[in-house]
Amino acid sequence: MSTLLITITQVSILLAFIMVMVLILTYLERKVLARIQMRMGPMRTGPYGILQSLADMMKLLAKEDIRPHGSDRMLFYLAPLFVFVPSFLIWITIPFTRNIVVENLELGLFYIVAVSTVSIVGMVLAGWASGGKYSILGSARSAAQLISYELPLVFVIAGVGILAQSFNLITIVNQQSSIPAIVYQPLGFTIFFVAGLAEVGRIPFDIPHAESEVVGGPFVEYSGIRWSIFFLAEYANTLAIATLSVLLFLGGWSGPLTEHFEWLQPIWLILKVSAILFLIFWIRATLPRFRIDQLMQFAWKILLPLSFVYIMVNATVPFVETVITSNAASNQLTGIAQIILGACQILILFLVAFAISKRRKKYLTHLHQGVPA
Amino acid sequence: MISIFRGLITTLKTTFRRPVTVQYPSTHLPLTPRYMGFPVLTWDFKIQEPYCTGCLVCARVCPTDVITVSMKDNPKAANEESHRRKIVNDFKLDISNCILCGLCVEFCNFDAIIMSDFHEEGSLTRVEQDLPLVTLLDMGKEMQDKGKFTPPPPKKRPPAKAKKDEPATDADPEKQES
Ligand code: SF4
Ligand code: SF4
Repeated sequence: MSTLLITITQVSILLAFIMVMVLILTYLERKVLARIQMRMGPMRTGPYGILQSLADMMKLLAKEDIRPHGSDRMLFYLAPLFVFVPSFLIWITIPFTRNIVVENLELGLFYIVAVSTVSIVGMVLAGWASGGKYSILGSARSAAQLISYELPLVFVIAGVGILAQSFNLITIVNQQSSIPAIVYQPLGFTIFFVAGLAEVGRIPFDIPHAESEVVGGPFVEYSGIRWSIFFLAEYANTLAIATLSVLLFLGGWSGPLTEHFEWLQPIWLILKVSAILFLIFWIRATLPRFRIDQLMQFAWKILLPLSFVYIMVNATVPFVETVITSNAASNQLTGIAQIILGACQILILFLVAFAISKRRKKYLTHLHQGVPA
Repeated sequence: MISIFRGLITTLKTTFRRPVTVQYPSTHLPLTPRYMGFPVLTWDFKIQEPYCTGCLVCARVCPTDVITVSMKDNPKAANEESHRRKIVNDFKLDISNCILCGLCVEFCNFDAIIMSDFHEEGSLTRVEQDLPLVTLLDMGKEMQDKGKFTPPPPKKRPPAKAKKDEPATDADPEKQES
């Protein structure tokens, strides 16, 4: 009984935490976007507008909950839950420090991948159940995009697991206590970040709910509290991707002085996550949206082969190292192996970037020649 | 590929610029010197009466028909305090429909109506948008205090009851503006 109570308390604290984080995140996003566009963002509600997202939430909760005529009643009401519950379940196994975690699963990364896939079902359900043409179009798009970008993401996570010889997030972070993994896995970080952006549908990849094309994608027909559940899920996912990339590649809570002061750990985590979030907002303010064919080509022709190469490199270098040093017991890379691995990955990154820009130049000249003078 | 990073650097640069936002109701942009707001009526401080004679020229020329004027005999003209035989009795300006075209100002023969820089005259009811004579004169006085309008001294005119056939053309707008 008492364990059940403890679990319930933990989960409700987590839920409240996510809600509050989403509120803060929307506020920060609006502020950062505004600053990039030389505006000020929300300034009226509370000092510097800090109560703006709270007011927005109140507005959403007070709105009428509309179900369109001709929609499927049960599926329409179920779909938001299908989207939100996975994005919440991910958080159960994400550790905030060495000790603060709801459930430290041994196969944490695998669990995250498995659970997050369910939200695709929710997207498709939402689009299908609302019975509008824009929503069904949006849900088809989101299904296509999410499935395509799921693959590179899974492969990268597998690559990380191979290198760390563990799927436990805390172990992975502990292995990076001296040096963050991005130093010797820049390729992995890049693929993970890009595929993660696409997974949560942030701006260069927001084909599913492109406002100028399909109004709001799968969520067009939703309003009020149900729409806000989708919104919550989207931002919880964004935060999860940012936190995961910090945990997997940026060394999580480890940083200078954390060995002596335990309380510095969450601060380092927050700092790193904020940096990643700023990067996400920054990209959102800069890049235009992909076309759907570009999106698919990028996923299948560039990102997926890259992630194969990543796995191969990740598997080969430690193997060669163990063969040379004949030291099979240690599952940690030595410094030289790390340097070689990092060099390999940077080389691959540059090669790919070079190839892309070369192809693009060819495409552009082709385009110009095609135009009659 | 490179263009992506170029774009990112551009947006990063704009991040650290000062925002161009003006927090409107609490701070205002400075108005340009020749800003045209709603037309208001001027006040002749020497004789302590409005310049407007109620001649109806502005009411006729106004493209949106927002001016209502009526005229009366000037009581001050009887004891020769004023050279105006007629004076405005009632003046109403419906600023909710005024298009700020300035035609009334252009056509007024007495420089009695000027364009002000009042532009925040919103109100909750339509009735409040009908500015009466007193309000218009008050706004005019404020404009005159700001020194945006200083009418030239009026030409000497024979006092009332001398001639009746002469039309009210003593104030030539070309000359007055110099
Ligand atoms: S034209 Fe000038 S003098 Fe005549 S009624 Fe209008 S404001 Fe008054
Ligand atoms: S500015 Fe134009 S619209 Fe306004 S009162 Fe004068 S003539 Fe009429």
